[in-house]
Amino acid sequence: MIVKAMVGTGSPPVERYIDDEPHMIADSVPETFGVLTRVAGVETIVAVRGDADITTAPEFRAILDTAIEQGARSVVIELTDLGVMDSYGLVVIAQAARHLASLGGQLTVRSPSSSVQRLLEVARINDLSHVFDLEVTPDLLAPQVAGAGVEAPVRLVTTPQSQQVWLSRGVTPVHEMVDAVLQLVVALARSIISGADGVSVSLRRDGRLVTVAASDQTITDMDASQYATGEGPCIDASVQGLWFHADELAVETRWPGFTPRAKALGINAIMSTPLHAGDRPLGALNIYSRTPSAFDEEGRKMASVFAAEASRVLSGAGLEGDDRSPAQLFEQALRSRTVITQAQGVIMERVGVADDIAYTILRRFASRSGQPLEERARDVVASTQRAGPGPTGSPSG
Amino acid sequence: MWWPPRSGPAPARPEALVAEAPTDVLDRFRQEAGLSHFELWLRYFALGGMCTGLDLEAFLYGVLRPGNHDHDVIAYALNERFRELGGDQPVPYRQDA
Repeated sequence: MIVKAMVGTGSPPVERYIDDEPHMIADSVPETFGVLTRVAGVETIVAVRGDADITTAPEFRAILDTAIEQGARSVVIELTDLGVMDSYGLVVIAQAARHLASLGGQLTVRSPSSSVQRLLEVARINDLSHVFDLEVTPDLLAPQVAGAGVEAPVRLVTTPQSQQVWLSRGVTPVHEMVDAVLQLVVALARSIISGADGVSVSLRRDGRLVTVAASDQTITDMDASQYATGEGPCIDASVQGLWFHADELAVETRWPGFTPRAKALGINAIMSTPLHAGDRPLGALNIYSRTPSAFDEEGRKMASVFAAEASRVLSGAGLEGDDRSPAQLFEQALRSRTVITQAQGVIMERVGVADDIAYTILRRFASRSGQPLEERARDVVASTQRAGPGPTGSPSG
Repeated sequence: MWWPPRSGPAPARPEALVAEAPTDVLDRFRQEAGLSHFELWLRYFALGGMCTGLDLEAFLYGVLRPGNHDHDVIAYALNERFRELGGDQPVPYRQDA
């Protein structure tokens, strides 16, 4: 047990056990996962046993939140008995760090394995501090534990600008967590895949592809060029659910509209790997390089590993790319059909035709102008406001 | 996602006939477009379609033959989706024939 008085606390170290036994979590959680919480002085030590992954993250998070709600401000996460930690586990730790930061507390990760330490370092190197609001520094205050295989402790120190309002558990939108995990996947892919100068994740939201995580603005622009031209490896991968690799843009012919724009931004090789939620293609992990033929077989394998991770995040979140509730979806559909019905009425009156013919006319208008039907219908309805009550109505000013 | 929809307008009977030779050509377009039955119904409804989700499914599988208007609304919903994805508009309209 570690007993340690911290600077800045007036009270003498008090030893208090919150819980002697490991929490054995809900039935669905593998029995191998357990968390032992104990208080040593001003520190609340949360020892994790087993895997901190997608299945155990909710409980892990609940335990940390409960400890913080009960007044813990200096929290130490002990990872000596940790099995595997995936991006979900890491995000739980990062969010606890942010929660503590907003309360003036701090979080220390003790005895991380080399792979977890690497994850934390990557988060720092890639300046994910704006996502997670933390910095990773060696924990100089923690007692050094002797023994082979024990890694140096890491302290997650919160940055000054991180004093923001923490959204309490249950209020934090699911997509915020998903976006944080995707941002992490992007950062990891960029730092680990050789030749990767930029990485992004495109996802279908509200019926269209958007970039939900990107390593920098150039990459966001690259994706935007593909959405604008309606072509490119990212779009093909997202739609067809297949892997698209443009080894050398100089000789690429598949995307004549997009390729010149990519080359203008200095990109010479692109690798887009599809993301799936269940069986459905949903988006793509896009990796860009300035160097032609930058991606080798190893890079391709790593890309599919990261894409699988991102897909798992999406499937696990049950979002399938659309995080609006059925009620919201229905409300929007109702708004759309109302304006379409109005436009139909306008055409019926102006042209003097039956409703289905009016609809056909409206549909052809939309097809010709390349607008969605709803948008076109809005224009038709708006035109009556510009033109006044119409040719048969009384003139207006 | 709930299915069939629990709310919405009173079901309007489609102007539909029992198809003589069922064909799932519309459903294959739906799969290609990457839409679930519910998502397609929502789009169809948003475009002014009046049939229930169950009716729509029957149209897609070719069990019922939709009226021209309903067919074209479904076709439009699918084509709009293909256009969003950057593709052409492969589903033919009956009233343009």
